[in-house]
Amino acid sequence: MSALRRFFARLGNSVAKEGHEERLNAEIEEHLALQTAENIRGGMTPEEARRQAVLKFGAVEAIKEDYRAERGLPFLEALAQDIRYGLRILAKSPGFTAIAILTLALGIGANTAIFSLIDAVMLRTLPVKDPSQLVLLRWNGRKPPQIQAYMTSGDCPNNIRPGGENPSGCSFSEPMFREFAQTRLFSGVAAFADAGRLDLTGNGAASVISGQLVSGDFFRTLGLRAAAGRLIEPSDDMSSATAVAVLNYGYWQSAFGGSRDAIGRTIELNSVPFTIIGVAEQRFSGFAPGTHDDVWLPLADAKRITTDLTFWMNREDNVAYWWLTVVARLEAKTPEPQAQAALTGLFRNEMIHGPVPSFVASIGMAEPPRPMPQSGPAPVKLAPSAEPTPTAAGLPASMPPGGGPGSQNMAFVPAPDTAQKSPKAVSPGSAPSGQVQPPMTLSTPDDDPRITLVPAQSGLTGLSTYYANPLYVLMAAVGIILLIACANVAGLMLARSTSRQREMAVRLALGASPGRVVRQLLTESVMLSVFGGVLGIILAYWGAHAILSFVSSNQPRPIGYALGVDPRLLGFTVAVAVLTGILFGLAPAFRSARVDFAPALKGGFGVSASTRRVEGRWLSAGNALVAAQVALAIVVLVGAGLLLRTLKNLRSEDIGFDAHNLVIFDIDPTLAGYKDAQIESFYRDLQSRLAATPGVKSASYSQHPLLSGLMMKIGFHWPDTPQGRMSEANFLEIGPEFFQTMRIPFLLGRDFNASDYEIANTNSVAIPAADSPPTPTIVNQAFVAKYLGKEEPVGKQFGQSAGSDMMPRSAGYEIVGVVRDTKYANLRSEDSVTMYLPQSRGGASFELRTAADPQALLPAIRKAVAQLNPNLPLFHVKTESEQIDELLFQERLIARLFGFFGGLALLLACIGLYGLLSYEVSRRTREIGIRMALGAQPERVLKLVLRQGLGLAIVGAVVGIGLALGVTRYLQSMLYGVKWNDPGTIAAVAVLLALVALAACYIPARRATRVAPMVALRDE
Amino acid sequence: MRQKADVQQGTLALMVLKTLEVLGPLHGYGIARRIEQISGDALEVNQGTLYPVLLKLEQEGAIASEWGASENNRKARFYRLTRGGRRQLQAERRDWEQTAAIIERFLAARGEDLG
Repeated sequence: MSALRRFFARLGNSVAKEGHEERLNAEIEEHLALQTAENIRGGMTPEEARRQAVLKFGAVEAIKEDYRAERGLPFLEALAQDIRYGLRILAKSPGFTAIAILTLALGIGANTAIFSLIDAVMLRTLPVKDPSQLVLLRWNGRKPPQIQAYMTSGDCPNNIRPGGENPSGCSFSEPMFREFAQTRLFSGVAAFADAGRLDLTGNGAASVISGQLVSGDFFRTLGLRAAAGRLIEPSDDMSSATAVAVLNYGYWQSAFGGSRDAIGRTIELNSVPFTIIGVAEQRFSGFAPGTHDDVWLPLADAKRITTDLTFWMNREDNVAYWWLTVVARLEAKTPEPQAQAALTGLFRNEMIHGPVPSFVASIGMAEPPRPMPQSGPAPVKLAPSAEPTPTAAGLPASMPPGGGPGSQNMAFVPAPDTAQKSPKAVSPGSAPSGQVQPPMTLSTPDDDPRITLVPAQSGLTGLSTYYANPLYVLMAAVGIILLIACANVAGLMLARSTSRQREMAVRLALGASPGRVVRQLLTESVMLSVFGGVLGIILAYWGAHAILSFVSSNQPRPIGYALGVDPRLLGFTVAVAVLTGILFGLAPAFRSARVDFAPALKGGFGVSASTRRVEGRWLSAGNALVAAQVALAIVVLVGAGLLLRTLKNLRSEDIGFDAHNLVIFDIDPTLAGYKDAQIESFYRDLQSRLAATPGVKSASYSQHPLLSGLMMKIGFHWPDTPQGRMSEANFLEIGPEFFQTMRIPFLLGRDFNASDYEIANTNSVAIPAADSPPTPTIVNQAFVAKYLGKEEPVGKQFGQSAGSDMMPRSAGYEIVGVVRDTKYANLRSEDSVTMYLPQSRGGASFELRTAADPQALLPAIRKAVAQLNPNLPLFHVKTESEQIDELLFQERLIARLFGFFGGLALLLACIGLYGLLSYEVSRRTREIGIRMALGAQPERVLKLVLRQGLGLAIVGAVVGIGLALGVTRYLQSMLYGVKWNDPGTIAAVAVLLALVALAACYIPARRATRVAPMVALRDE
Repeated sequence: MRQKADVQQGTLALMVLKTLEVLGPLHGYGIARRIEQISGDALEVNQGTLYPVLLKLEQEGAIASEWGASENNRKARFYRLTRGGRRQLQAERRDWEQTAAIIERFLAARGEDLG
């Protein structure tokens, strides 16, 4: 107790210094006065009495020192002293200090920025109660199930493609989910799916928001509370219930001002009234990482908000339509393996024995407003899902394109690696026709369908999958930057410690213990890294936000990643800062403490043999540090070069149409209640109005724009191929004058005419009559090359089918024209076999060819739309160039950051080289002076210094190229048009480095030639 | 070095506490004189070393101090024992006696006692 009390008293004294010193002086004075008086009484003279009193008291200064040590905390005070002294030393050489701090700040800042992104994207825990109890249901099997449609909202990875091996995924049909939910194996089972585009009216101006459809038990299973009102409950998730909506907290704040009056209000989503019942708790802005939802709606309302029931396909009770992601909360009484086995049992039973509605039957039940679109022996477009509209929802996906042999229905597939806009459905369907074996089942025992429970934390990846690779690559780059920064500062410290040898020698000679000297030096270096760390956190904060806003500005919908400083992030930065400090501080510190101070005091460098030996060793350490920096810089530079070339290759890729002065926007007349034939006439009307707008050369429309990351595929039977074998192509439905507007040249045949649109319309809205003519189609060169060879394309018919039990009848297609190849979904895709069809339904994207800068025309365009229908919002208005930028945003981001980091690495390495050579020159001033006094020409001296610098640069470069070859292969999946070991890039980097290194060496070398021999010789 | 100083300091602290217990509030010089008188020439300590010890005891709460007037009517710092100091004195006295007794016995022990 008393020890603690004493500690606090001392701590207090350490902080407040005054008082005690005077008190001690007063006490000593009084003590001596009393003793002197005593001595005088004893018969001494006053002088003698005073002298004796002082003698008896002892050494006043030593006692004062003891007293001080007793009073405060000597360690703390010495530390304060070290810090004061360190500050003074650092301020004395501002150049060194600034470079060191800046170097560290950049190293630490870059690491913190990227780590905070990784933290936000990859490591954040799910925003729910006890996330460790939540499991995600995944299915897998040996062969894809025989389903009609498969949709994913991008919550987790799916591997399902027609005919693919060992597929797996996490989407389930609604009946399957309901069955899982009834098992009582879990304390809760919840399903959810993206709600697609939601057009909101009833709260100010019409707007488009994002939402999620959730099952009644969703919020209870996740353990979420309401911030206001109540959340969706099972009773809301019934088709008879009133449509209700739960708001996102942030959306509630921004759109409703956080007002409690919002609860109970009615809003319209896709023209369906929803009553707002509550607001979810603040931390929950979306379930899977990176997702952001403005509203949550009951699953039962999914059908009501569907704008095009064509694609609904009786989803609520169709076991062959898989579209829901399912999570469950484990219960203590049912261990995970047991739950998994039970679910697998259920799943297997349903898959192997459950009946599947036959294709035609399912369509028959499918909906009122419009009959199902149909076609061919392999029915064609089933789900160019209009309702989760292509452009609306914004989740990236990494689905392989569907189709291929055995593909049954068509679907909407974002292209492999871009696709920023999903939801998508692929249909890995069955091998059709021919071998019909009723009753059909979803799977067979051989396929071994199973359920695996995976922790939701790791299973629900959301956007993270999409960002993981680039982030890890960037993390590696900034890790290297930090290494360079450390090596750089270590080199600086090393050089400095040599020049401070005399100072250290003085301190040691005056009685400082070696430990104290080491501590002093360590304090200085830790101070440097703390300053660097603080500055680094500021840079990181700014940098991470800049990166995130760059990412969001290129996303069609908000990104739900929250960046913040959390303890892990702080811990990471502090650890890096302190470790860096110790790492680069320790070696020079120990070295200084070992100084043989006699020669050092005499002021000569390299005088004693031992010093020279030590110095030689440390110099080679300095050389090694610089070579290492160069090598590491090369690695980052080669990476940067490869990524920049990738970007350049993608940008200069021949897209096949003219992207300049092209404006695109999305519009969906079904949102305003247009139906059937009205849609087409609306499009035609709008098209002619837009074309008549001054400044617009021509206007057209298509299902979605080219190069938007979206892709539609179609399956058909090609004549003279085996029955049951499916052929496939990309397809795009287009309006009149599409090719003219896009400037895609015709090679053969003609554009669509009015009767083509009529035929397409007839064929797409009903099962075509037996004698209906084939749908006209225009194909591209790649299509001709793949399917026709030398055969005359125009007039060729394919894809007809008389219809069967499983497949509806199809009138097939007839080629009326051939156009040039274009890039379809994204710039990387090599998959360009495409057919164009006349568009008659659904939402569309308009393309406008303008005479000049498209931006200036936007108001006129909006006006033209408003004249036609003021309630129809325009979405995603942008130029084709902006669209391509968005498509390339990941490449741009990575190339930009990597380029920046590459430049940084180069700069740091050059500073290191420069620092080392400057130090070398100053160390060898005397030697250079002697050489020059003996007649050495300045060029020789110049060469002497340059040789060392360039030698180091070359050694570093060679090692660096070796290292780069070892690691860049991991970049290959991100590259385009360039190999990981591209010699051109490596050579360019080497030349760049050589030039910059030469510049860095030249300055100190130049200084060496200016050494005046007499001054140099007098130097000691 | 340090170890030895601590022992000395500890001994000195005990002497200070005992002095204050017997004589009541006293200034530094008075304490030093008293210790000198009791120990005679046996203890060769500079009087000044007393002051760090006094400070330590004060910071531990064993003694308290305040300004007062000395014999020659000048300002002097007077130290007095606190209740905690009294307890500490008892405890240290017991410890000291125990240690002394053990050492005593050890030194008195002869070979046959160990058999």
